[in-house]
Formats: sequence, C-alpha cells, structure tokens
Amino acid sequence: MTPPWQIGVDIGGTFTDFVLLDTRDGRLFNGKVLTTPHAPEQAVLAGIAGLLAQHGVAPEQVRHVIHGTTLVANALIERRGVPTGFLTTEGFRDVPEIGTELRHDTYDLFMRRPDPLVPRRLRLGVPERLRADGSVLTPLDEAAARAQIRALRDGGAQALAICLLHAFLNPVHERRLAELARQEAPGLTLCLSSDLVPEIGEYERGTTTICNAYVQPVFERYLARLGDGLRGAGLTGPLFLMLSDGGTVREDVAARHPIRLVQSGPAGGVQAARVIGESAGAEDILCFDMGGTTAKAALIDGGEPQRSLDFEVSRVDRFRKGSGFPLKVPVIEMIEIGAGGGSIARVDRLGLIRVGPDSASSDPGPACYGLGGTLPTVTDADLLLGYLAPNSFLGGDMTLDVAAAERAISRNIGKPLGLSALEAAWAVHETVNQSMAQAAAVHALEKARRIEGYTMVPIGGAGPVHACAIAMKLGLPKLVSPPGAGVASAFGFLAAPISFALLRAMVAPLATLDLDALHRMLAELEAEGRAMVAEAGVTDITIRRIAAMRYAGQGYQVEAEVTALDRDSLRAAFEQEYRRLYGRIEAGLPVETVGWRVIVAGPTPKLELARARDGAARSLKGTRQAWFGTGFVQAEVHDRTALRPGDRLAGPALVEERESTLVLPPASRATVDAALNLVVEFG
Amino acid sequence: MTEPLSALRLGTAWARIAGLMDEAAETFVRTSFSSVVRDNWDMAVGLMDSAGRQFAQSSRSVPSFVGTMPVTLAAMLRKIPAARLVDGDVLISNDGYLGTGHLNDITMVKPIFAGGRITAWIGSTFHATDIGGAPSVEARDSWEEGLTIPVARILRGGVENEDVFAFLEANLRLPEEVLGDLRAQFAMYDQAAPRLLRILAEEGIADADALSAEIFARSERAMREAIAAVPDGEVFDEVTADGFEHPVTIRLRLEVKGDQLTLDFTGTDAQIARPVNSPLNFSRAYSNYAVKCAFDPTTPNNDGCFRPITLIAPEGSIVNPRRPAPVWGRHLTGHYLPMLVLSALGKLIPDRVVAESGSPLWNVYFTGEHADGRRYVRMFFMNGGHGAAASHDGAACLSFPSNVATQPVEQFENAAPMLITEKSLIPGSGGDGAMRGGLGQRLGFRVIGGKPVTATYRHERVQHPPRGLLGGEAGRGGRDLLNGAQVAAKARLVLQPGDTLVFETPGGGGFGPPAERSATARDADAAEGYV
Repeated sequence: MTPPWQIGVDIGGTFTDFVLLDTRDGRLFNGKVLTTPHAPEQAVLAGIAGLLAQHGVAPEQVRHVIHGTTLVANALIERRGVPTGFLTTEGFRDVPEIGTELRHDTYDLFMRRPDPLVPRRLRLGVPERLRADGSVLTPLDEAAARAQIRALRDGGAQALAICLLHAFLNPVHERRLAELARQEAPGLTLCLSSDLVPEIGEYERGTTTICNAYVQPVFERYLARLGDGLRGAGLTGPLFLMLSDGGTVREDVAARHPIRLVQSGPAGGVQAARVIGESAGAEDILCFDMGGTTAKAALIDGGEPQRSLDFEVSRVDRFRKGSGFPLKVPVIEMIEIGAGGGSIARVDRLGLIRVGPDSASSDPGPACYGLGGTLPTVTDADLLLGYLAPNSFLGGDMTLDVAAAERAISRNIGKPLGLSALEAAWAVHETVNQSMAQAAAVHALEKARRIEGYTMVPIGGAGPVHACAIAMKLGLPKLVSPPGAGVASAFGFLAAPISFALLRAMVAPLATLDLDALHRMLAELEAEGRAMVAEAGVTDITIRRIAAMRYAGQGYQVEAEVTALDRDSLRAAFEQEYRRLYGRIEAGLPVETVGWRVIVAGPTPKLELARARDGAARSLKGTRQAWFGTGFVQAEVHDRTALRPGDRLAGPALVEERESTLVLPPASRATVDAALNLVVEFG
Repeated sequence: MTEPLSALRLGTAWARIAGLMDEAAETFVRTSFSSVVRDNWDMAVGLMDSAGRQFAQSSRSVPSFVGTMPVTLAAMLRKIPAARLVDGDVLISNDGYLGTGHLNDITMVKPIFAGGRITAWIGSTFHATDIGGAPSVEARDSWEEGLTIPVARILRGGVENEDVFAFLEANLRLPEEVLGDLRAQFAMYDQAAPRLLRILAEEGIADADALSAEIFARSERAMREAIAAVPDGEVFDEVTADGFEHPVTIRLRLEVKGDQLTLDFTGTDAQIARPVNSPLNFSRAYSNYAVKCAFDPTTPNNDGCFRPITLIAPEGSIVNPRRPAPVWGRHLTGHYLPMLVLSALGKLIPDRVVAESGSPLWNVYFTGEHADGRRYVRMFFMNGGHGAAASHDGAACLSFPSNVATQPVEQFENAAPMLITEKSLIPGSGGDGAMRGGLGQRLGFRVIGGKPVTATYRHERVQHPPRGLLGGEAGRGGRDLLNGAQVAAKARLVLQPGDTLVFETPGGGGFGPPAERSATARDADAAEGYV
C-alpha cells in the first residue's frame, strides 16, 4: 500500500517550516525550527525527525517530501555561487555588463547597477556566428574555442554559461562548445542558453544562463547532502522540489534547472491560498502575503495562478524594476511592495505620510519591541489602534511597549501633521492598507481582471491584521483566513501538481506558419515533458499548450492557451485575449507567433482538510478597545485555537493566535468552516 | 475656500493618480508597434487640470517631455479654443516649436468631460520613428525635416477624422506603425480617463483642480526648501559642442538666491542653419531635469516643481531658435544642458552632481529595402560612459540624460539585413580620476544583404570629449569609422554590401584628481581590462 504521509518543507530566511499531512484523513501537523544558513539541510533533517517522532510516524510511512527553498535566490543575492565563466560569440563578451543601458531611476544621478556576476576576465568570445534566421554564417572555430575554454578553466571558473547569438533558433554551436568543454575541462558545470531559455534577446537569455550556472554546483551539492540525509533517516521516497511557477519536479530535474526555483517559497504560498480558497468554494482568489518587510499579492483565476516568464533577482533597489538581473523563467506572477509590519512610516518633504520601503526589520525592530528602535512602524500603529495586544504578542513571549510606540508615532507623524497619536496611527494604518490595495488593484487591471470578484486569502504574519481593511477597500465580498497562516508555503507544496513547463521560440507569421513543423515541435516538447513527469510516477498526464503571439510589428506578446492548431483558431485565441487585455483588436493586421510553452502536469492533489478539533471550547477571552477611524470601540477578543466549526463572530473583533491576529472590523461577519478557516463577509 | 485636503487623503489620491499614469504608459508601450516606444519608452503620458496645468506624468519616460505637454496644450487651444471641443475629441500636433522640439514627437491631448464641462485633460507624446520628409544633417530649415501636423482634431466625438488620417498615411514611410501607435493611445485614453474620475470620486475630491492645487503648492514648497538649503551664489560655466562647420559654445550663469534658482543662457552662440537647434521647450525640459535631479529627485513631475526656476534663453540663440531653424537633432544641443547645469552646480554642491557623460545620445538610422522589396527604417541607440561621482566610478554605457535603452542585437538583426559585428567596452575610454568615468562602447554594423543601406547619424563629443569634474580627467572622445577609416561624425552615408560602419561612443568624465585613485581600484581596472 502507498505510504500515507507527506511532508512539505519550506526554508525561509529565519525559520524552516514543516507540514506533515496524513492523506487518509486530511490531518495536518505543523512544525518550525530555526534555519541553519551555513548548511540548510541540517534544519530540514532535524525538523523532519522531530516532527515524525512527535506524531509517532515511521519514516517508511512517508510517501515523499516536497521542498521549497530560498537557497537559489539567496545564493544570487548574497553572491554565494561558484566562480563562473561566460562564453559567447566573439565581440559580445560585454553584453552581460552593458545590459539594457537604461537607468532604472531617471532622476537618481547616483543610481548603481548590480556588479556583473561574471567578472570581465572570465567572459570570453569565440569565433562563430549565426544569422538572424539561425543559419550558420561563420562556423565555430574549434581550436580557438578550446583555447578560450582552457583560459576560463585556468582562470578558476567552476561553471560555464554558454550563450551565443541566435542560438535559441539553432543550438548547434552551443552544443558543440559543450562537447569541447567536456573534453577540455571535465567536471565543469555546463549551462546552455538554448536549453534554458529558447527565447530572443541575448542579454536576458545570457543573464538567465549565467545565474543558473552560478548557482547550479552549490544547489547540486546541497541536494545531494539533503538526499543522503533523508535516505539515511529512512525516508526512501522521492524528493520533489517546488518550482517558481507552482509546479513540482523530481530532484534530478530541479538540479539541472536551479534558476527555476528562484521564487519557490512564495509559489508555495500561492498554491496554499488556492487550496484554502477552493475549500471555501472560491475559484478566483487574491493571495495576500504580508510579512515583516514586504507584502506580496498574486491572482488565481479559476484555480490557476497567473504566470509569467519575467522575473528579476539581485535588485540593487529591491522595489525598483530594472535594478537587478532579468530572468526569463516561468514564475507565478506576483507583485511585491515594501510594506510589512516593520516598515517605517514618516512624513516626507511634501508633508505626506510615506510607509516603507525601508524596514526596521527585527533589529532594532518596531519601537514597541523595546529593542532600541525609535522610528514608527506599521506594527507600532497596529498596537496603538488596539489590534495587537501588548501581552499576547507571539503567545505572550514578547511584551510590547505601548508608550514607546506612542512616542515614536507622535513625534514623527502626529506632531508634524497636527494629529493626535491615535489619528496618526490610523493614518499610518490607512496609508499602508491603501498602498497595498492600490498595488493589488493595479495588478489586476494590468491583467484585465476585475478585482471585485476575488476572494482574499491572507497569509504571512502581518497579513491577517490588515487583510479585512484591504479587502473592504477593494470591495471584495469575502475573505478566507486559514489557521497557521505562517506556514502556508510549506502546506502549499503539498497542494502543487507534478508539473514542468517546456519553452520553445518560434517566430513566424500565422499566415505562413508551417503547421506540420509546429505539430512536430509540440510533439517533441510533449514527449520530453511526458518522460520527465512519468519518471516521477505520474500516469494521469495533462498537457496545456500556450502560444505567445502578437501583431506583426509589436514587441510584447500576449499569451493564450490554444487547443486547436489551425490558423483561425490560433488567431481567435490571440484576439480574444488581446481584446480582454487592451479593449480592442486590430482586425486588419497580421498576427505572428513568437514562442510556445507546453505545460506537462500530473493531477493537482486533492487535499481534504479536516482540522476540526474535538469538544466544545470557549473562544472568548475578553474585550479590548480598538480604533477603526472614528474613535475607540469595544471589540471582542477570541482565542483562535478554541474556535470550532460553525462558530460565528461579528466585528469588531480580534481573533488571536500565536503568530498573528485577524482583525475583524465593524460590519464584518465571520464563520468558522470545517477546515477551521474563518470565512469573513463584509457589508 | 473649501477645506484643504488632509495629508492622508491627498497622499492616497496622489499615489493613485501617479499609479494610473504609469499604468497608462505601460499599456501604450505594450500595445505599441514601434521599437522606439517599447524599447526606449520614448513617450510620456500626462494629466492636466482644467486650466491645462500638468499635475501628473508617467514616471518612466525620457526627460525631453518634462513639462512640455502643458505648453503644447496651450498652443493647441490658441488654434482650437476649448469651447469648441466636444467629448470624444482628440487634438494632435507635432509642430516642433509648439511641442518638444522636433517633428518626430507627436503630441495628442484629449479633454475629459464631467458634468458637461472640461474637468481635466489627458495627453501623451511619443516619438514616431519616421515622420516623412528627408530629415538629414543637411537640412537648412524645418520644412525639410518632415511632415508638420498642424493643430487638428484627429478624433471628432470619438470618430477618426479620415482627412487627417489620409494626410498622415500619404506622408509617412511607415504609416501602419505610426497609425497603430496613435490608435493604441486612443485606447489608453479611454481606459485611463474614466479611472481618473473614479479615483477623484472615491477619494471624495471635488475635481481635478482641487487635487492639482495641493500638488502644485506642496511640490513648489519642497523645491523652494531644497534650493534655500544651498548657500546663495552666482557661478558661471560653459561647454563647447563639436557643432558643424565650427564649434558651438553654450554659456550659463547660474544663480541661487534664497529659494529661487536662475539659469541664464545669455551669451550662448546664435542658432545655426543646421538641425541642432534646441527649441525653448526642449531646452527648458532638460534644464529643469537637471535641477530636479540635484534638488528634488523624488517628487513626481508636475508644474509646481518648476515654479521656483527662472530660465533666461535669448531668442535666436541655439537654445531658443526662431522658426524655421532646423531642429531634427535638437538633442545634440539640448543634451548638453543638464551636464552644463550640473557642472555649474558642482561649484556650489560638489557631492550632489556627477561629471559629464558620453552624451548627447548616440544613434543611427538605417533605411533600405529587404530582399523582397519591403522598406525598413531602423533606429539603433548606443550610449557612452556615465560620468563619475564623488562616491563611485561611472557606469559603463549608461544612458544620460535621456533615458533610452538599447535594443537586443538579435532583434535588430531580425529587422534589417545587417550584422552587428561587435558590441564591446572600449578599455581606457573612461576619464581618469579619484573615481573613474564609465567606459564607452564599440558597435560595428556590416551590410550582409545584397542591397545598399543608407545610414544617417549625427554624433557629438568627438572633438570635445566629456569633461571631468573637480580635477577628474576627460573621457575619451567618440569616433565613427567606415571600413576602418574615420569619417565625419554627422553624416548620411550609403553603405554597400560588405561595408562595415563602426561607432565608438565617448567615455564618461572622471571625478577628483587621478592621484587620489586607490591602488586597489587601479589593480582591479587592470585585471579586468577596463584600462
């Protein structure tokens, strides 16, 4: 019989989170240990062992472990990859350094770009050249290529990123270079742009290839240590990894494409929001994840997270587009703004309140932590407004200093604007809510969605404090707040299907598109994908084909899922999506395809969540004063762990658990469902 | 007077309007048919109040458009008074002397009606790759430089004015590209205008004027405070451009007095009968841009920011030419202005400025025919090195002052029968100094098709390289080479199959004396081949 238990593991910056699920009855247990940054597998192994022991589960009872990690993103941000060489067409070694030539901030005279991951001395050119149609203009000079490979090896390169001009159309020279590299420098990690990013644009393709090569040896070693450790502990089932697009793959596939894990943890959070929302009957879901320094939002439409092929890492200015390395990888699309519990509030030179993007983080932390912080933060405002209680924060492990919060808010916000401390705290709270609501609404509009129909699922420590207020600003009808929002990502890993996206460029006018060649190309990708997914033991495979198309002459494409592969159907699919996005179509203009994405996936796991606790309990702990804009009102305070399915609450109320508090404003009503979610409705 | 807006409500509304502008710009870029809009963001979207004063502008656009839209709108309304406009009308013009200085920039403005009156205006300006005519360095007046679209209604009550469209179609080399971009902007207005009204309603703000008044007042105050924080002083500086037959000198007197700043270009050389004259709007945009960078880089652009700045530019000078002086390459003069303003400011606030960069912007137009007879016009932008600052070396190949990206080599080669032979840094091109200037780059273009290609370009900083600041040395000047031999920096060349045209952009100026450069920095430069 199939072992019944599954484990989800999410390595975050501070904590490594665990979820243990019994697939027979949907019972779910959480765990949390401190992350061990020097050797992250130690925390994983220790945490799993502890969790299994605590719940009396034998290792052989575990079917598999699904893992997500910030390791790839952190290795890039903290520059902890291996010395990497870059081989390209002769004359183009500086492309990764020159970039787009654009200033990410037009008005900042002192703006900086990230230093190149590969220094100039390890970037070399080889004589070869393809034409824009992929045909060979200058054959590869193999003797020169061998010499350059040796030079990079001797220069200390442990990995080699190869990106030749137009290689996305014809990988012949890149593949030959890889063969030569295997001969001249055995043991070097090799990454080809034509494998990783078959898309036009030498800078983005090269950067993605470099980032992959730079982290791959580190990631492979980590996976090997983790795999050995798991097997040593008797966990002999497969290890799966969470990709940034919300799919999971077996460890061997992940090891070759580490760059696809760059946003692995947050993708798990979105998958969790999907399952939680769906369990409450919602299909269009706004996942809202607010932590200490940032807030993220992602849209899920009809059970499918919005995806894109653009991502950026190592930003010099974290919230400014264009200040990092562009990556062409499939990701769940998210917006991130610099507004979390620790975000600092101030009055700017225009006399307006600004919150973030700088954060007091955990050291010194908000003023109310009493650790030396004197600047007012969102958490300080939330405390003054009565949403957080001084004595029950983190289950009472930390006492919050109300007087310090009041001083910080008064001095920095209240006095300059002529407001009382409470009015100022309210203004800070409103400002941060407004900026998050705006960011989410704009994101939805960019995707031509109407946010008003979405159900919000708040996760992350600070999410529940702000969620209802934001949902009301957005005019959302409903919100589903899960228990244990802090370990949502780890839970989400269990909810993700085995899935891999395969990409291929094909720039061709629809009118003259070679349909036979298209069929062959898609069949090839599908076979490759089927093999990958079948290796993971999946038999029930679904395939989705997504075509990127545009009007001839445009530079941005629109992605549309297609079923029939004739010209009329392709055009119809494109125009339907184009009209939805931009409100019009250009009936007379020719359409061209740009690229294809084939998603090969196993079934989405059906998770039955039955977290119901036994026995009656009394959740009401007392009342406290909370401010909702016009004055203090008396709010009930409930213990979340004592809530039972069917319990009903009415705002104003505060529902506390160890790591978060759900704030129910006046005119909101909540019901506890069978999975112990609080389903909140407004109006 | 109504009650002033609270900081909370104003902050919210302002942020939402700024977001609306950026989103509108993004929509246009994504639906645009021209590479110059989508790769270079050579466009801007703006909102004006009922009086035509600009209170919001998209944040990511080239500085040529800073503050020009309200001037263009006022000029449009002198031709077609607001009282004659109806809902759904859109005004258009590309008159360089009314707009941003050259014919390639087309400006459109649409009145936003509410309650039967014009409550605000939404407008946009974008760069059309081709505007007809024969723009070239030989142009002696502005009529040679292409089609002038007089102030006209391109939409009447929401319906396309077919006469205007017919004129455009008949005069442009790439009508489908330009008309496609015009229509993309109509769609953008239709999405954005109702949202402006909705934001005002949701924030409980009576109308755009109530919001703009607060925005102007606060922005003006912020700028005045920043200027007042600098000690009073009067400084002089001048910069010499390569020019045409002879160099051209731009002279500046900069005065800080209390909370006022005066930029006085009196003494600047006269306009010339070559297309490098910088019309007043363009000169003002780039001067204001530099002041904004140095004093208040973060407030979103609006008319209030620039009220404390007085600009004096003598009529008939190269920074304020009289019609019909040719203006196609106005940036060849205009791009010097921010560097001149910063250089002068450096004498008062050295830690807030940077040395000169390898600009005016370098670019080239290629025109010709594909093998199958289709015509193409392709532009390629290439930037020089950035000037160094007190705190760090200048970046290599970074756009300044215009913010214009390059395009992928692979995309260019798909669009024109040419091969880019090289795109690499030029070692040693950054000016020496305590902090080194950024490197310029070398780009080669070879004709690989069977037909000739016309290359048109006009480059500066060949004879007068970017200056260093406070003891820093100048960067290396640029060069233009045809098949290995240096050719004129401003030319229209017919390239034959097999010919290779190479451009070497200038390096940025250094900052501070070279003797103060650290040994570590010099070793690193040598190891990486930057020198």
